[in-house]
Amino acid sequence: MPVLLKTTSPQDIENPYRVIPAEIYDIVQESPLIRTLKLRPDEPIVFKTGQFIELSIPGVGEGPFTPSSSHFETERMDVTIMKTGFVTNTIHQAKTGDRVGLRGPFGSHYPLDTFEGKNILILGGGCGLAPLRSLFLTLVHEIDRYNSITFFAGAKSPKDCIYKQAVDEWKQYPKVTFVRAVDEVPAGQEWHEDVGVVTVLLNKLDIDPADNPAVVCGPPVMMKFGARDLLEYGFREDRLYLSMEKKMYCGFGQCRHCVMGKYYACKDGPVFTYEQIKNEEDIWE
Amino acid sequence: MLINIQDFIEFLRKTAQQGDQISQVVVPVRSEYADDTHTFFRPLTESNTPLFNSYRTVDPAKFLLYLPREQVFPAEQTKNRILAGVKACDLKALELLDAALLYDQFTDPAYKQWRDSTLIITSDCDDISSSCHCNLVNGQPFAENGYDLNLSQIKNDFLITVGSDRGDKLLDRIKSEIKTRKASESQRMQVEKQRKRIIERLTGQNKPYSRSSHYEKLRTIDPAPWQDESMTCIGCGACTHICPTCYCLILNDESKADQFIKQRSFDSCQYNGYARVAGGATPRPSMTERFRNRYLCKFDYMVHNFEKIGCTGCGRCTQACAGEIDFRQVVHNLQNMAIAVQ
Ligand SMILES: Cc1cc2nc3c(=O)[nH]c(=O)nc-3n(C[C@H](O)[C@H](O)[C@H](O)COP(=O)(O)OP(=O)(O)OC[C@H]3O[C@@H](n4cnc5c(N)ncnc54)[C@H](O)[C@@H]3O)c2cc1C
Ligand code: SF4
Ligand code: SF4
Ligand code: SF4
Ligand code: FES
Repeated sequence: MPVLLKTTSPQDIENPYRVIPAEIYDIVQESPLIRTLKLRPDEPIVFKTGQFIELSIPGVGEGPFTPSSSHFETERMDVTIMKTGFVTNTIHQAKTGDRVGLRGPFGSHYPLDTFEGKNILILGGGCGLAPLRSLFLTLVHEIDRYNSITFFAGAKSPKDCIYKQAVDEWKQYPKVTFVRAVDEVPAGQEWHEDVGVVTVLLNKLDIDPADNPAVVCGPPVMMKFGARDLLEYGFREDRLYLSMEKKMYCGFGQCRHCVMGKYYACKDGPVFTYEQIKNEEDIWE
Repeated sequence: MLINIQDFIEFLRKTAQQGDQISQVVVPVRSEYADDTHTFFRPLTESNTPLFNSYRTVDPAKFLLYLPREQVFPAEQTKNRILAGVKACDLKALELLDAALLYDQFTDPAYKQWRDSTLIITSDCDDISSSCHCNLVNGQPFAENGYDLNLSQIKNDFLITVGSDRGDKLLDRIKSEIKTRKASESQRMQVEKQRKRIIERLTGQNKPYSRSSHYEKLRTIDPAPWQDESMTCIGCGACTHICPTCYCLILNDESKADQFIKQRSFDSCQYNGYARVAGGATPRPSMTERFRNRYLCKFDYMVHNFEKIGCTGCGRCTQACAGEIDFRQVVHNLQNMAIAVQ
């Protein structure tokens, strides 16, 4: 008769560290520092737009990234990645046919149910456009559910703009307003659209802020000032959605690296309303 | 149930040797140095002698269930063990680790396996260390529940208490192999008296330090007092590594050729790189901020996460500290500060 009995949680839960291998079937160089990996996972990955995955380069390391493709696509996944350090440098050396690992999806997602019938504002810059592209493509997939989409996208300079080929197409979509701005136009680069930080585009906005959702994603400074400007404009704290970027290892609330006061950026976020986090520790850094 | 201590140790040795159901028995053992009174968890062998009661081991029970470095994917098979001589403060820490690592949606596979395959025998403290302060954080020097078996020493015997089904099964096996006796009422009283005596010693030792039910105020203190308290902190991270409730991890990718392998290893929020994101920004660039984070984690954040504070009063961080910082003293000082600034 065995002495030992199972005591802890009885159901055998799937290992959250399990890696799903995926093949890179194409790579799009979006800008000098940003590229999109087009991945085919060995098994479908079902996620909700706004959630993230952990992408690993075998033997090198892993990092959190948000799929930039629609959540209606599960057989394939796009991930748009900026070169900023050790792991992402290696990702930028990857070639078509290489295999990477995926874990997840993890975290919270954009509450699309509450967006129904609304005029949705999407505001982002730099690599923050990755999750916003996913959101945008997911929304247009069922565009009948929503009243309109306004997408304001920012970049440092014309050559830093990403999703170049797609943008012309997006501008043609019904119910969609897509506007871009660059911070500056260095000599020798051409630009016929807006110039200034992305929030200057708010003066082109023609929706009632009190009743509609706004989604912001971008570098920390952009999020901080973007949130401030949107609140000033009249958007509600509980309808202003921010995607928080913190150091993450596990992705599901067990390494504590992403803790912001009582919240985990990975498990309770990455998508938070401004109202949730405004009084927490360390939110903008 | 009463059992002779020597008989019990022999039973454990035999069980470990047979290796059919239990492949290892881990017990507290004195250090080799004669003047060192500390104990360490070691596998029970023919030649070493366990010291079950005393006070907590130097190494927390965490080290045996949540290893400093461990493969989590693919998860590896663990072995069946008995871990004996665990103290109340360490058992309480396991409750917190359970809440953190085994919550319904996600489960750390390696921790779960060690937890399932380790039978835990706790023992009452019959001594205290100078840093012990379980009494300041709603604890006591003996376990009340959550163990499989508990040992209280009465002269040459152990009074054994059963705390779980698998503890009960082990006791059946003990009874079938060695002589046991029924404890008398006066012997039970004796245990109560001993427990009270240790509580009194703890209360006496920790008189200068206050306790609180308002730790959430710690957040409101401005930086200057934190700077004072952390003056001698060198950021070594010993306090977090040795703490039975700290579980911060780094995930390392150790994949080979076409096999993905994930290992986790201990990390510490006292290190500068801990929360650093791409581009080098970190929310806590100064040592004072990281020092403060440890206290807020234990007394504020964890309370929100697990409905309990993250300190069980074991005092290990105080003993490990290179900067000779007494954890109790810091909490006492800052807590008074928090009450004053509120
Ligand atoms: C929820 C979320 C979603 C994100 N989505 C995107 C996205 O869609 N696109 C995008 O470009 N970025 C995204 N990011 C940011 C992205 O995760 C970081 O840019 C990336 O992890 C940086 O890694 P790096 O190693 O290149 O940078 P580094 O600056 O070299 O490292 C960043 C941190 O990781 C540690 N680290 C680096 N390598 C290792 C290693 N091998 N093992 C252990 N630790 C290591 C470093 O010590 C440092 O603390 C997202 C971040 C979050 C939190
Ligand atoms: S802190 Fe309390 S329970 Fe822990 S060893 Fe000391 S006296 Fe025993
Ligand atoms: S904070 Fe210090 S006293 Fe409290 S449980 Fe951790 S090591 Fe023990
Ligand atoms: S053990 Fe002491 S010196 Fe080391 S990090 Fe902790 S508080 Fe600082
Ligand atoms: S990423 Fe590990 S706790 Fe959030």
